[in-house]
Amino acid sequence: MSPDAKLLHVEKLEKRFGGFRALDGVSFDLLPGEVLGLVGPNGSGKTTCINVISGLYGGDGGQVVFEGARIDGTAMHKLARLGINRTFQSPKPFLSLTVRENVEISARYGHAGGAAIDLDGLLASLELDAHAHRAAEDLNSAQQKTLDLARALATAPRLLLVDELAAGLNPAELDRMAIRLRTLADRGMAMLVVEHLMGFIDKVTDRVVVLNAGREIFGGTLAQATQDPDVIRVFLGGSHGG
Amino acid sequence: MHRVFNDLGLAVLVVVAMAVAPSIYSNQLLLFNFVMFLSLAQGLNVIYGFTGYLPFGYVGFFGAGAYGFALAVMHLGFGPPGAMAVGAAAAVVLALILTPLFRLSGAYFAIANLAAAQAVYEVVANPALEDVTKGPYGVSLSGVFAPNASYAAAVAILAFTLLLVVWLRNSQFGLSLRAIKEDPISAAMAGVSVVRGRTIAWLLSALIAGLVGGSFAWEVSVFYPETAFSPQFSIFAVVFALFGGTATLTGPLLGVFILYGVYNWIGISVPQYFQLIYGTLIVALVLFLPNGLVSLLTRRGIRVP
Amino acid sequence: MLIGALLSGLVFGLYFTLVGLGLNLVFGVMRIVNLAHGDFLMLGAFAAYWMFALFGLHPLYAALAVLVVFVVLGLPIYYLIVPRLQMARDAEMLSIILFFGLSQMIEAVTSIAFGTTERSIPGRVLGTGPVTILGQRLPSAWVFGAAVSAIAVACVYLYLYRTRLGSLTRAVMVSRDEALATGIDVHRVSALAFGIGIALAGIAGVFAPFMLGSVTPALGPEINVAAFAVIVVGTLGNPLGTVLGGIIYGVGLMLMQTYFSSWANILPNLLLIAVLLFRPEGLLGRATRRA
Repeated sequence: MSPDAKLLHVEKLEKRFGGFRALDGVSFDLLPGEVLGLVGPNGSGKTTCINVISGLYGGDGGQVVFEGARIDGTAMHKLARLGINRTFQSPKPFLSLTVRENVEISARYGHAGGAAIDLDGLLASLELDAHAHRAAEDLNSAQQKTLDLARALATAPRLLLVDELAAGLNPAELDRMAIRLRTLADRGMAMLVVEHLMGFIDKVTDRVVVLNAGREIFGGTLAQATQDPDVIRVFLGGSHGG
Repeated sequence: MHRVFNDLGLAVLVVVAMAVAPSIYSNQLLLFNFVMFLSLAQGLNVIYGFTGYLPFGYVGFFGAGAYGFALAVMHLGFGPPGAMAVGAAAAVVLALILTPLFRLSGAYFAIANLAAAQAVYEVVANPALEDVTKGPYGVSLSGVFAPNASYAAAVAILAFTLLLVVWLRNSQFGLSLRAIKEDPISAAMAGVSVVRGRTIAWLLSALIAGLVGGSFAWEVSVFYPETAFSPQFSIFAVVFALFGGTATLTGPLLGVFILYGVYNWIGISVPQYFQLIYGTLIVALVLFLPNGLVSLLTRRGIRVP
Repeated sequence: MLIGALLSGLVFGLYFTLVGLGLNLVFGVMRIVNLAHGDFLMLGAFAAYWMFALFGLHPLYAALAVLVVFVVLGLPIYYLIVPRLQMARDAEMLSIILFFGLSQMIEAVTSIAFGTTERSIPGRVLGTGPVTILGQRLPSAWVFGAAVSAIAVACVYLYLYRTRLGSLTRAVMVSRDEALATGIDVHRVSALAFGIGIALAGIAGVFAPFMLGSVTPALGPEINVAAFAVIVVGTLGNPLGTVLGGIIYGVGLMLMQTYFSSWANILPNLLLIAVLLFRPEGLLGRATRRA
């Protein structure tokens, strides 16, 4: 694999909160169009990892390289324009704006290059078209999550960071969401997916990285991960020395 | 497109009405005060209504404009137009100096801004600077006194201010500001530069107050630091804008016409009664109608300019 | 001169601790900014003035009366305003605006009732002749005011750390949500804290004619800035940090008045801005962890 083929290269990423090492030297790579799942117990650093890559937090060490250029320390709005976007665990859409205005802003300010986005088509594909002219505050929480995804997609990202999108969705919504993400990936959008629901991870990802205490302890497919003694120990209880 | 025309129509109507008013009603100083507060309430609207940051020390920019005007006349021998530009520049420079305050969240921003305005007043009014600012003894600019011209300038500033608000309400930039107000993190991830958007709104808001302060200095021509930096200006601008409803064009206009009307009716002879009225109004508004009078219509889905 | 400035700074520091303490207690428990704090202080000053002018009552009695009346007064004000306010999306910001309105109401009513004349109480009421400490002569009224302040601060400490209600109050300060979840009657605790908060302002007000000079109904806003400077320096939401903030503020003020008197008024403003910008968590606060 030539280094140029990598879309995202994360190397020895560190993040501390006071004395707590949320990320303790995490490294992994992502290829264009690849969907990588980040799994691990609570507090293992999954969401922190997304927060550092997306520029919400500054890292304390290591580097993040996107399409061959270092991006750690870059402001969030510039990352959006470079082609990196994300969804939030608890979405905060622009509540007083209409659904359509929510995505318009994103398309206008955050567009990462390439063909112009068909916003009506985007809303239709996410089943938000019927609500296009309603205020975002009138949507239910599942719809607000979808709108958060729409806001990210309206910038036409090449890398999408997905933070617990499935939490709070019912099984039918969950299936549709998995199909949507898979379709996006098949069209070439790379993703980093943080999720607790293993069924969802299984449907969406090509490969997983397992984190524990801010370090990666495994990389491979989910099926392999479930056979790995380290992973089993971490998931079945830290009391056994893990 | 007709949304823009509704907004523009209202703006033009108000500007024309205030422009012809002196030929109908002879108390020009009172009319000047109306024009001044219309601009100040809208100027505050630009920063508070569109970004959610409440400048409790808004008068700092007004005072900077008034003193910028006065110092340019006294020390540089500038005519009113040049002095006005100096006043506006003084307000914008002060706003630039205060941009670090945006690191603070809402309540702390408001209080720090209040303290900043007070600090500027303490500097201007300081007897140690008598040679420059005339300290607490006030300035007299009788050489440039020209009430018709200063009134016209105030109306022109009002026109500029209203057009600016119409633009903010109907442009992508204005939409991006409202996104920042709703959630800065989501806005950043939508590609909006939060720092840039806020700073532009802040400087524009200060520019308006600076211009209004300059026109005030020109109109009254004799004033003291405690007049130019009177907290009353900030208070009235906040109350008028809140009362009518921020982030709209109508709201602050309505607030000024109603409340400043009431003020001139009962407030000048017995200011305490007016103070009691607006104090009570603020408490009631925050509890029962936090989005102002216009929200009586907007919450029913009626679009108000 | 330096020792004199430091000593009077300490005396005023204790007084300013009292000025800020109630504001900090209210903020700590309710996460709202009581911008009418200075006006409750002004009301305390007027109470002391009238009780002295009409009945010749010593300010200590006024302080006791203010304590009782203000705590009782705080309860209905709390229940009328705060629970409804806390339902709003941005309660902290709205609280500033709302309490600013209340501040204007109090100032207006006081002006209507008592006029805007300056009121003062002669300093000899609190003792004649200066007190000599470390060879420095201080007006006895100052020392008296500082002593009462110290006692009031100590009482708040005892309340918070030695009584059951006090420990519940501290629980609400740490986390309102968890306090609710564990079945603490958050409103009762908060209402009492609100009453105590404005009573502390009122007691500070009783001594304002001695410490700050004559008072008018318009005293409130400048007190607010000073109180804010004190509690921000001493860490918001940490009532004991207020002691540190008060003393830094008092000493700073006296040093300024001794060496740069014409610039002394600018101190609270600059101190407030500087601390907010460079150490927003206050001098005692720890950087908060975001997870």
